[in-house]
Amino acid sequence: MLWLVVFFLVPILALARTSLGAGDAPWWDGYARAFTGYGGFLIRSFRFALTATLIALLLGYPLAYVMAFRAGAGRLRHLLLGLVILPFFTAFLVRTFAWKTILNDGGPVVGLLGWLHLLPMEGRLLNTSWAVIGGLTYNFLPFMILPIYVSLERIDRRLVEAAQDLYSGPGRAFRKVVFPLSLPGVFAGSLLTFIPASGDFINAELLGGPNQSMIGTVIQNQFLQVHDHPLAAALSFVLMALLSIGVMVYARMIGTEELA
Amino acid sequence: MSAIRRRQFLSRLAGIAGAAALEGCGTPAPGRSARPLRISQWPLYIDDRTIPDFQRATGITVRYTQDINDNNEFFAKIEEPLKRGQSIDRDIVVLTDWVAGKMIRRGYLAPLDDARFPNKVNLADYVRDADFDPERRYTVPWFSGMVGIGYDRRRVGRDITSVEDIFDPRFKGRVTMLTEMRDTLGLVMLGMGKDPASCTLDDAQRAAARITQARESGQVRAFTGNDYADDLASGNILIAFAWSGDIQGLRADNPDLQWIAPREGAILFSDNMMIPKTSDRQDLAMAWIDWCYDPAHSAQIVSGAPYISDVKGAGAALAKIAPALAGSELVNPPPELVQRLHVFRTLSDDEEAEFNRVFQRAIGA
Repeated sequence: MLWLVVFFLVPILALARTSLGAGDAPWWDGYARAFTGYGGFLIRSFRFALTATLIALLLGYPLAYVMAFRAGAGRLRHLLLGLVILPFFTAFLVRTFAWKTILNDGGPVVGLLGWLHLLPMEGRLLNTSWAVIGGLTYNFLPFMILPIYVSLERIDRRLVEAAQDLYSGPGRAFRKVVFPLSLPGVFAGSLLTFIPASGDFINAELLGGPNQSMIGTVIQNQFLQVHDHPLAAALSFVLMALLSIGVMVYARMIGTEELA
Repeated sequence: MSAIRRRQFLSRLAGIAGAAALEGCGTPAPGRSARPLRISQWPLYIDDRTIPDFQRATGITVRYTQDINDNNEFFAKIEEPLKRGQSIDRDIVVLTDWVAGKMIRRGYLAPLDDARFPNKVNLADYVRDADFDPERRYTVPWFSGMVGIGYDRRRVGRDITSVEDIFDPRFKGRVTMLTEMRDTLGLVMLGMGKDPASCTLDDAQRAAARITQARESGQVRAFTGNDYADDLASGNILIAFAWSGDIQGLRADNPDLQWIAPREGAILFSDNMMIPKTSDRQDLAMAWIDWCYDPAHSAQIVSGAPYISDVKGAGAALAKIAPALAGSELVNPPPELVQRLHVFRTLSDDEEAEFNRVFQRAIGA
C-alpha cells in the first residue's frame, strides 16, 4: 500500500498539478489545447496500436498454441519459450534501431517487396506507417504471446478429450472449448500490447517519418523541446483517461467476471 | 567515422532512455586527483590527444563526459538544480549560442576570470562581441560550425546551389531537415529571402508554412538530429540540411558527399564553453579554457573534429599538423563564404516559446 502511494500516487499527483499550469492561464488551459489541437495524433496512435495488436494476436496466438499443445513438455517448448524471451536481452532502443538497417531503402526486404510489387505508395518502408506498425508489433509481440501461452497451458487437457469424445472435430473443439478458455490470456495480452503501444514514441521516432508522429512523440516534444509542461501533462492525462475508458469497454465486451 | 554524431546520436532518444551513458573518453589519469575537472560536451567534438596532453601538462584530472545531445534537453535537465543554486556536478558545459544567452540572462553562469585567461587575446575578432554576451564575459566558443546542405553529388547528378533545391519534387521523400529549430527555420527563411539575423514571428510562420507543406506532401522524409548522416551515407536520402563538420567526417566512407553553403546563405553557430555558477572548481575550468585557446592546442582539437576554430593562429598551426584539412573551407571558410553566413538572432523567452511552438507544429510533432 505504501509502495502504491510512493510510486504511483505521488508522481500522478505531481503530474496532475503540472497539468493545471501556473501563472495567469486558467487551470483548464492545458486541457483545452490538448483537446483542440491534438486529436489527430491521438487517433493515429490508437490506429497504429490497434493494428499492431491485431497483427500481434494473429501471429502470437498460433505460436502460443503450438508451444502449449504441440511442443510436448520437453526441449522444444523450452526452446520456443527462450526464443520468445530472447529479444529482451538487448535494449529496446537497439532492437528498434536494428530495424532501420533491415528496412533500408537499398536493403533486401525493400528489394523483395519491390520485386513482388508489394511496396506501399511511398516506394519504401522506412519512415512510413507500415514500418512503425511493424516496429510496434515486433517490440510488443512477446507481451501478447506469453499471457496467451500461460492461459492455454493451464487448460485441462481432459476437457478437449471430452469434447472430442462427444463427436466434436478438432476445429469445433478449438472454437467451443480451447479458445473460450484462453480468453483471459487474449485479454491480458492485448492490453499489454495495446496500452504501451499507444503511448510509445521510440518506434515512431526511429522508423516513422514526420507524418507518423504519435501522441507519445508530442508529449515528449512538449516536455523537452517546447517546455510547455502544462500541455504535455494534460496530454498525458487525456491519453490515460481514454485508455482507461477503452479498457473498461473492452473488459465489458469480453466479460471479465469470468476472467478473474 | 570521426566527426559524425555532432548533436544527438540517437538524438533525444538517448536522453529519454535514461542513458546519460555516453560516458566515454579518456581519464587514464596520472595520480587521480580528488578534484577532477568535470566537462560535459557533445559527442565526437574532440581529438584523442588533447585530454591526455592537458592532464600531463597541468596535473589536473579531467572527467570528460559526452552527454550533451540536444540543447533543449540538456537545458531542461540542468535548469532545476541551477535555479535552486545546487551543484550540477559539472564545471564546464558546452552549449550553442542561444542557450548560452539564456544561461546568462537567468544568472546561471560564473563570469570568466580574465586573470587566469591570458590566451583570451587569441579570441577571433568575429566572435569577440556576441549579442548575447558582449565582450565575452561569461562564454567563449569551443568552436564554430555552419549549417548548410549536404548531398550526394553522384546520386543527385548535379550541383546543388540553393535552399530551394531541397523543395525540388524530383527529390520527394529523399530529403531530411534538422530538428534544431534555428537551423531549419533559418535556412528556409534564407531561401525565402529573409535574414534570420533580423527575422520576425511573421517570417517564422511563413517559413513554417513552407515546411508544413513539404512535410505533408511527403517531400521531407524525416526531421533528424545527427542521424541524417547515416541515411545520407547509405543513400536513403539524397539531400539534407547538414552541419558542416559532419560531412567532412563522412567523406572518408563516401567521397561523393558534399557540403555547400547555399547561395542564399548559411547559418553560423558557435558552441560555447561556460562555467556553471555552482561549480566549486572554477580555477580548474579556467585552466582548461586557457589551454584550449592556445593556437596549437586549438588546431589539435580541430584536427579531430573538423569545425572552425575561433582561436587566432589556429589555422597556421593546423596547416602544420594536418595540411589537407587546413585547406578545407569547412575548417577555414574563405571571405566570400564568410560574407554569406548568418547568425540567428537572439530571441526573448516569450519569442522563443512562440517560435518553438510554430516550428514543432510544422515538423509534425
